[in-house]
Amino acid sequence: MNKNRDWLIRKAELEDGCFVSVGGLVDAMEQAAETSSNVIPFKHAFARFLQLARRDRKLSMEQLAKKVDVDLVELLKIETDDQYTPTIRTVHQIAEFLKIPEKKLMALAGLLRVKDAQFQNAALKFAARSEPVEKLSQEEHSALEEYVKFLCER
Amino acid sequence: MRVPIQIVDWATREPVQAELFDGVTVEHFLETQNEWRPVVVEAAKKMVQSGSPQDIVPRHFHWDWTSKEADLRILAFSFIGISAGGNLQGLMKLENAGRSGRIAWQKGKPLTYVDYLETAPWNIKPLMQALGRSQKFAAVGTRLIEAAVRKSLDEGFKGRLALHSLTTSERFYLDVCGMTAVGRDPAKQNLLWCEFTPEQAERFLKEGAT
Repeated sequence: MNKNRDWLIRKAELEDGCFVSVGGLVDAMEQAAETSSNVIPFKHAFARFLQLARRDRKLSMEQLAKKVDVDLVELLKIETDDQYTPTIRTVHQIAEFLKIPEKKLMALAGLLRVKDAQFQNAALKFAARSEPVEKLSQEEHSALEEYVKFLCER
Repeated sequence: MRVPIQIVDWATREPVQAELFDGVTVEHFLETQNEWRPVVVEAAKKMVQSGSPQDIVPRHFHWDWTSKEADLRILAFSFIGISAGGNLQGLMKLENAGRSGRIAWQKGKPLTYVDYLETAPWNIKPLMQALGRSQKFAAVGTRLIEAAVRKSLDEGFKGRLALHSLTTSERFYLDVCGMTAVGRDPAKQNLLWCEFTPEQAERFLKEGAT
């Protein structure tokens, strides 16, 4: 790297704290538009997965928020808003708590693109199979356990 | 790779020690999410409230590195960061395969492509002005582009480098770095394709753009 002091100072003055960004929102928007139709069923599966996993542990949303050190509002958005994309940190925290491979959960949350048809089918099947009820039914419990097994084994 | 470099402390206008490194990890992405993003969002809000023209309000404040995390393992990509004062000051992603020149006499010649580059918000004057603060360090963008040119040289691309500049960053790439504005790219949101020829890259490294 250039060690010339004058060169560095001259460059700093020319740069003058201006914007230097490359990439960014434009790309992100483009990608979001391309994948939005595929991502929503995934996000729905993520929302249902989180809801069932939470209820299976007999935790309120507030208790889960404390355990994973995530803002309660964000958990609420995840469970109720299919359009909402959680932050990488939140998914990381949830993955650690539920002991689910982080990348799989990120894909499910719409944070990573997945082309694996089997993964997509499993997510869709899970989302379709799990219906919200007050208490986990045996069916839900099985669906949840089966999906946890799928996520952990592959 | 960890290389000691210098950047400039803007308050004193004096060089200070920093480190250029290529061992970028998920933790660095998290740092941009947790440390950078809230500052950019806050500044962008202030800029909108104060009626700043839309074209200078940062367009990249929704960016996160999430989609780049999987790229860490791909050899054709390089990630380079700069740290100073215990904080991350800039990050960049380079692509070293599959890209070629667009300047007429450089067509088909391989180059290094800057897919992503960003400096910490406290090093960007318009953002700090919006928040009533002073920028912290200067020449971080210059150092990242210098590292990109050196990567191009290492790859045997003779310093050829290209990128799609965001509108707000065009002044830096054209006037400060001295790249050629090749044209707007309809396939990339009409962003400006900027390119270094080997001669321009050499001039940037040695003499500066002016």
